[in-house]
Amino acid sequence: MTTRLTTSIRVAGRGMNRRTLLRGLVGGSLVALALPPLEAMLNSNGTALANGTPLPRRMITWFFGNGCALKDVNNLDAGLRFAPNGQGANYDVTPQLAPLQTAGVLDYCHVLSGFDIKAASEHRRGHHDGCTFFSGHPFIELPADGANYSSKFGGPTIDQVAANAIGGQTFLPSIQLQVSKRIVGSEGPTLQYLSHKGPDQPLPQTANPQDAWTKLFASFTAEDDPATPHRLAALDAVREDAKALQMRVGSADQQRLEAHLESVAQIRSQIAALAPMCTTPGLPGETNGDIDGNEPIVAVNNVMCDLLALAFSCDITRIASIQFTGSVGYTVFNELGLNMGHHDMTHDALRNDDVDAATIYTMERFAYLLAALRNTPEGADNLLDSACVLLGSDAAAGLTHSTYDQPCIVAGRGGGVLKYPGIHYRSPTSENASNILLSVLQTVCPEATEAGGTLGYSNTPVTQIMA
Amino acid sequence: MSRVRHISLDLILILIPAIAGCQGGGQAATFGESFDDEAADADADGGLDEGAYAEPRLRILLGRQYVAAVGDLLGPQAAQVASVRADVALNGFDAIGAAQIALTSQDIDIYEQSAGAVAAAALATPGALDAYRSCVPQEPGDLECMRSFTAAFGSLAWRRTLDESELTRWSEVGVTAALDFGEFDKGVEFVIAGMLQSPNFLYQVEIGEPDLDNPTLRRLTGPEVATRMSFFLLDTTPSRELLDAAAAGELDTVEGVRAWAESMVLDPRARFAFDNFFEEVLYLRKLDETAKDVGTYPGWSPYLADSMRVETIALVDDVIWIEDGDYRDILTADYTFVNEALASHYGIAYPGGTGFQKVTLPPGEKRGGIFGHASLLSLLAHVSSTSPTLRGKFVQERMMCTSIPPPPPGVVTDLPSGAEYKTMRERLAGHQDQELCASCHSIMDPPGLGLENYDGVGRFRTMENGVVIDTKSDLDGEPFDGAAELGGLLRERSKFSLCTILNLYRHATGHVEQPGEIDRLIAVDESFIAAEYRFKSALVELVASKAFRFVGEQDQ
Repeated sequence: MTTRLTTSIRVAGRGMNRRTLLRGLVGGSLVALALPPLEAMLNSNGTALANGTPLPRRMITWFFGNGCALKDVNNLDAGLRFAPNGQGANYDVTPQLAPLQTAGVLDYCHVLSGFDIKAASEHRRGHHDGCTFFSGHPFIELPADGANYSSKFGGPTIDQVAANAIGGQTFLPSIQLQVSKRIVGSEGPTLQYLSHKGPDQPLPQTANPQDAWTKLFASFTAEDDPATPHRLAALDAVREDAKALQMRVGSADQQRLEAHLESVAQIRSQIAALAPMCTTPGLPGETNGDIDGNEPIVAVNNVMCDLLALAFSCDITRIASIQFTGSVGYTVFNELGLNMGHHDMTHDALRNDDVDAATIYTMERFAYLLAALRNTPEGADNLLDSACVLLGSDAAAGLTHSTYDQPCIVAGRGGGVLKYPGIHYRSPTSENASNILLSVLQTVCPEATEAGGTLGYSNTPVTQIMA
Repeated sequence: MSRVRHISLDLILILIPAIAGCQGGGQAATFGESFDDEAADADADGGLDEGAYAEPRLRILLGRQYVAAVGDLLGPQAAQVASVRADVALNGFDAIGAAQIALTSQDIDIYEQSAGAVAAAALATPGALDAYRSCVPQEPGDLECMRSFTAAFGSLAWRRTLDESELTRWSEVGVTAALDFGEFDKGVEFVIAGMLQSPNFLYQVEIGEPDLDNPTLRRLTGPEVATRMSFFLLDTTPSRELLDAAAAGELDTVEGVRAWAESMVLDPRARFAFDNFFEEVLYLRKLDETAKDVGTYPGWSPYLADSMRVETIALVDDVIWIEDGDYRDILTADYTFVNEALASHYGIAYPGGTGFQKVTLPPGEKRGGIFGHASLLSLLAHVSSTSPTLRGKFVQERMMCTSIPPPPPGVVTDLPSGAEYKTMRERLAGHQDQELCASCHSIMDPPGLGLENYDGVGRFRTMENGVVIDTKSDLDGEPFDGAAELGGLLRERSKFSLCTILNLYRHATGHVEQPGEIDRLIAVDESFIAAEYRFKSALVELVASKAFRFVGEQDQ
């Protein structure tokens, strides 16, 4: 932790006003956490901090469950209703992509088609295998032996690889948000959660915007709280207890306690940090409760996106994941006049058009996120210029459960790492989908050379979308 | 340590369905019968060729256990301000997730804030800490008095005696805070808050020790047995009396454990603990997030869904705790419990009074036992239709412990629909026609098809899309029609009682039983059967068995 903070201390040494710093007592000495990049700290062009430090880069993974509609339910080879026909820049706008054009963010979007999720081929089980897209590691199938089927992720999701590398520079290493509550929890963390630090560390997401607000904007310790040093001392004693216990247990539990210790260190640094000097939004009124049995999807999506844009702007975190709908999720798109759970609908050939309508609705919500980022200026640019947003699902289509050609968009300029305007690239060779993960990772960790593992391993980014 | 694994041919056969799928003449369905063949050889106290024990794992206290433990240690005011992390289920049990999942920073954040709030509430409640105070501090930084408090609180909170370095570490936390604030009790507050964040509180720690009578075996220590018993039977931390008994060696013998278990199952908290267990096993907790299309099912509401949950728990509770009857009666009872909302939902007369009242089931609806309950029928269904597959899967997987493998890759999992398919049975027929699907769906769909008289919220119906529904079906080849008959078939299946024991064991120990452990659990099942299926006796027999009291070694 202390090492990671060194860079920020150097930043702090450039004659900044102390009040612009996130300061706190970490390991017994005063250090500064990363700065919110206020206008005052930018260079005259607004393209970097005054000291030359580049503007922060951000990453979001964005998930919707159960895939898209098929072009023709009687001809599976015809593919999905999603990607354009043409390739390269200025691709044709399919109905599914039209919401991005309407929101004015289509230029920021790379559409990637024809990729194959190589990590999905070790164990086959519908949806579980498609979810491996976000980590590039084959999932772990728990032996059932007469109990319920369950699986967990085989390795960290790409957002957590990034959080592990750069999360220490902000108050929260990452945040996990959720929109629809109709998710499946009975088959283990693979279907239930989008972000995973590792097989035994799924990161539950927050579905209530008020809770998200508290996490992002109301969890700071008051500067003069006399309890703070003693809370920290208690955590230090907890650390000693955990280390002593590590000596008594087997290797698997030693690793779990190691994760426990890392979590204690993270909370310790959060308690020690002071509040950032930026505008804090008021507590949102939205709580994501059902209204007459219906989910307030649009309202929740909008407030979550707005909170996230503000959190990025304040540099409270740089990494986020948003589970819009769940894997095998049973969201009902009641605003479209539908009354079936989404998963059931995607497994019913006669509902193909309804599935398509749900996809378009989903893309409207995704477009809102991109627009919220694009509408938030940062220096000469905006947050979407600094961000990379990865959209994906858990199957190409519910009817096929295919993990080839799943819907995928990489949006944002990634701080200039990604090409602009965006292109449609269709892989002619069923490339490994982990290549996409590596490209996304390189927007925030330029030094990264690999993503995924075993069957899903990649050391070759999708150069076609890289600037 | 090496030990001969006792894997009989029968057990190998049992494991095949889970690996190879359902092919082979419904082998998956013969799973329990194979166990029964084994049972004849089983010996409660094991033989020389005893099967291997599973590696014990640190187990995170479940959310409800954490809150109950705080309440027992510090009083109800403290429990009221406790907050919990989300349990994560694996293989269908939170307890199994608790033995594998690692704590995230979000979890630690919750524990840290909860512990601070809990400690402050305890300090603000007169008398809440009296049990731990044996001295009057002579000054704010009175080290001896802080050590005394730390030792007393720590030994109960951590379910064991503190060692010297722990005592020193935590009393220093207390004294430093006491001196800073100029108040002894401020130090006490940080000791409590801190020790409740320690892994020694947050996890059930089970290491075990060599059994003196048979050093090749590893038994839980007395305090570890006390802890495992108390969290299993009462969902809370062991009492001072139980820990004292453990320290006196009372839990080192099977007789001692049995005697304590017999008295603990009479504790009212055992009822609540197993209400929680059944809410998990029967998926009743899902009801608070079950969505229904109100166009198809007008009247669906969170209140109605919660009433359904209460109905099923009331029946189970009645059979087990009030009647102390045959546990299998939950499958066939000709009565149930309804409030006004449920009575109206079922279309039966509410007998009057308030709240839930016992009623006889209406005739002509083939109801009886939990398969006729609106709770299961609603949560094992889709948003706007029934799901015979989900209902049948529940019967096979959760009631008979038969694993259902995933659909084979490349299969288009589309159900036909349209004007020519009037009923769910017609739509599901494709499952039976296609060989790949039929191997599993032939055991999954029929138990659900026999429940098609109950719609997606459990109301009785005879017609679907203008056609009379054919509800004659079978459970692994045995014919039945309706909920009561399905329950009647299941109650005679040996797989049902064994699966009850297995589910209890998974919850109690946080792992799915391994092949070496099966014989011991079959022996528990035999005792359960001999006790005429008294659930309380299953609990006592399980706790007294070596399956519960012994562990393997942790893998290094």
